Amino acid sequence: MMKLTIDGEEVEARDGDTVLDAARRAGAEIPELCAHPAVSPYGACRLCLVEVKRNGRTRMAASCCYPVSDGLTVLTKTEKVQRARRGVMELLLARAPESQALRELGASMGVDEPRFPTVTHAERDCILCGLCVNVCREVIGAAAISFAGRGVDRALAAPFLQSADACIGCGACAAVCPVGSIEIRWGDDEVEVPTFGAKVPAARCEECGTPIGSAPFRERVQGQLAAGLSHATELCPSCKQQHAAAGLSRANRGTASTLPASARPVPL
Amino acid sequence: MTTDTATPDLSTAVEAAVEAYAGDPGFLIPMLQDLQADLGYVPAEAARHMADLLHVPLSQLYSVATFYKSLSLVPRGKHLITVCLGTVCYLKGAKEVAARIESQLEVGPRMTTKDGLFTFEPVNCLGMCGLAPVMVIDDDHFTEVRPGQVPDILARYSGKEN
Repeated sequence: MMKLTIDGEEVEARDGDTVLDAARRAGAEIPELCAHPAVSPYGACRLCLVEVKRNGRTRMAASCCYPVSDGLTVLTKTEKVQRARRGVMELLLARAPESQALRELGASMGVDEPRFPTVTHAERDCILCGLCVNVCREVIGAAAISFAGRGVDRALAAPFLQSADACIGCGACAAVCPVGSIEIRWGDDEVEVPTFGAKVPAARCEECGTPIGSAPFRERVQGQLAAGLSHATELCPSCKQQHAAAGLSRANRGTASTLPASARPVPL
Repeated sequence: MTTDTATPDLSTAVEAAVEAYAGDPGFLIPMLQDLQADLGYVPAEAARHMADLLHVPLSQLYSVATFYKSLSLVPRGKHLITVCLGTVCYLKGAKEVAARIESQLEVGPRMTTKDGLFTFEPVNCLGMCGLAPVMVIDDDHFTEVRPGQVPDILARYSGKEN
């Protein structure tokens, strides 16, 4: 355990915490777009800037990537910090001017319209935070997409701008995207991620046939589940409930000594 | 979409590049450079084959290949023309030199002529500001170039069609 000062209050933190973790626990409100608990810090959006003082020196740092250390002094809401964050927000809004989520966050920080020219339509609504890339690689393990190009050409793309062959249609990229720019279509037969040109077959409930997400993703999950739990992925939620109810009533009548596998509660 | 099976020529080139660094994915960049030197560019099928051999995601390889300007994913001309458009060259007339090349060869920046002889690549500095404006064809350097010299310079390479 170590002690640091955040906005004048002494706070305890564990080794390995980031300044963002410690400041949030201390109740500080820090805006951020690309810090996701499931993904290692990448520091792309720069919205979580704070002032850190160490050995008498002050500097601006992205709190999501700054490890805590004993005796550190952190200021999260000085005028200087807020001005810097507003500047960053203007740049982000210029990149993704149509994102509702970004506009709302901007408005809450006092930024409505960026002073900078906005990007062309084709590049809109991506702040290049890389969260989709990192979740696909680190959490899902598919590594289907990546950054491509650099400088003004930098974009997120599937290899060779073709369809992302390695995509398993899990939808994690769309779920983590902070500006909501990755589209995913859950069809009856296919799950499609048009942003990356990927299409995979849909999985269906083995009883009623309702589409329940992507088939390759279901396979991946089944491979990771403990033996005897694979039924958790076979049925849609409503069929699972019916099985559970039927199993319980049989158990209550004493016609079955144990619940059938399909009715056992599934830890999530 | 390209197939996963690379043609024999490509496979050989990829395997040679990979084996030269004992298949260590840490040497991905030199491997791609070797492949580029061998084939003139990095074809998509070759990239797929290399990704398979190295057990590196294709997305990572694509990211690296698009990051470095020295790597090209499209076929390049027999001769590479580089013109510096950095500050000094620009002020000393590099833009006119570039315009002359573009109009004579009927290409735009980063494009290859229809006959596959030249690829035109504007760059931002060649480190020879004292000799501005500078253009480089393959390994030959031309300094203090005036637009009027362009046809003569290009003619030397147009004749070298083997």
